[in-house]
Amino acid sequence: MNVERATSRILLLGGSLAVALMLVGLVALEVHAARTAHPLDVAHVVENREAGRSIGVFVSLPQIARALGRWPPDPVAVITAGIVVLLATPATALVVALIAFERLGDHAYAAICAGLLVALVCGFLLNVAG
Amino acid sequence: MSDVVFLVTLLGAAAGAGVLGAILGLGGGILLVPILTLFFGVSLPYAMGASIVSVIATSCGAAAGHLTSGLANIRLGLFLALFTVTGALAGASLVGVVPPRVLQALFGLALGYSAFTTVRQLHVEVAESLTADPLAQRFGLDGVYHDQLLDRDVAYRAVRVRAGAAVMFGAGLLSGLLGIGSGAFKVLAMDTFMRLPMKVSTATSNFMIGLTAAASAGVYFGRGDIHPVIATPVALGVLVGSYGGTRLIARLRNATVRKLFLPIVVYLAISMLLHGLGVLK
Repeated sequence: MNVERATSRILLLGGSLAVALMLVGLVALEVHAARTAHPLDVAHVVENREAGRSIGVFVSLPQIARALGRWPPDPVAVITAGIVVLLATPATALVVALIAFERLGDHAYAAICAGLLVALVCGFLLNVAG
Repeated sequence: MSDVVFLVTLLGAAAGAGVLGAILGLGGGILLVPILTLFFGVSLPYAMGASIVSVIATSCGAAAGHLTSGLANIRLGLFLALFTVTGALAGASLVGVVPPRVLQALFGLALGYSAFTTVRQLHVEVAESLTADPLAQRFGLDGVYHDQLLDRDVAYRAVRVRAGAAVMFGAGLLSGLLGIGSGAFKVLAMDTFMRLPMKVSTATSNFMIGLTAAASAGVYFGRGDIHPVIATPVALGVLVGSYGGTRLIARLRNATVRKLFLPIVVYLAISMLLHGLGVLK
């Protein structure tokens, strides 16, 4: 298994899937806004955090899952699912690199990948706690 | 500004940031945050959230291309990322203990030195006659890439690995302490200290910045700072731009990339020093 190729493929796949979800969600959001005669007025919405919340910002995975479970799915939840896929892509690529190095018998780099994954988890927990 | 004009303009700006990010090894935050806040009137928390999305999108788009072309050295990136991520963890836990201004002043001076060194080796295409570093050999950090412009394979060696790793740790420390990206420091550690070809430095930095950003991305998401309407055009533009940037860098000389990078280093050095000295808040 070629480590570079495997890692590159995951980065490209993750990025493409994320963008596809975001685009579908954004188009659905625009269509919904046009139908309900309530334009998004994004230029106003993005000006401050409180105004931004008026279109709904998801901040946890259970919230996204619940919104995606309804029919039709909430367009903002679809966009946010894309964002989550994008944010998770580097860590996924690291897992794939770890497996690829292990298969090559390069235990030193498999250990480095494992160490980095542990550090990412620690960083995440530290950030959340902080 | 109508929705469509806003989205299309932001898409274009993000694509430009993606192209530059892929060439210079930066996440795009240094370009995107001022554009979003000054030109689009986006509030700073949302601009910072968009910046973290931009860093990861640049890393996905650029590193995917650079890893396939052989410009990004995955072993080098992973080895050095250990020090950056450890530094970032140490920095995050030292918030409130170490005065950030002292570190900013120190890094401003280090960047000033790097700018001076960059000017001195501005026209160097590939460093020649470097002595092998035992640590680089042990961890397989040396490499080879095919340079389209020179139409030959370029073999390179990593030297002064300990110094490079120390700078990486310091960059991570600063990143964790101040919550800033550190793509420029990563490139400088590889180019100035480890004497790697500039294109290898920026391409490998592109791979590394995604890993560093991933550690803090959850916080921005949990705080609600990643706004869907801003993040989507930013991610799309940066991803397409950065993937395109990987095609462009293949046609550039190492010296050209270094010349493009120099103004960023000078700007960062002055900014860090002024912050460190308390002139800028």
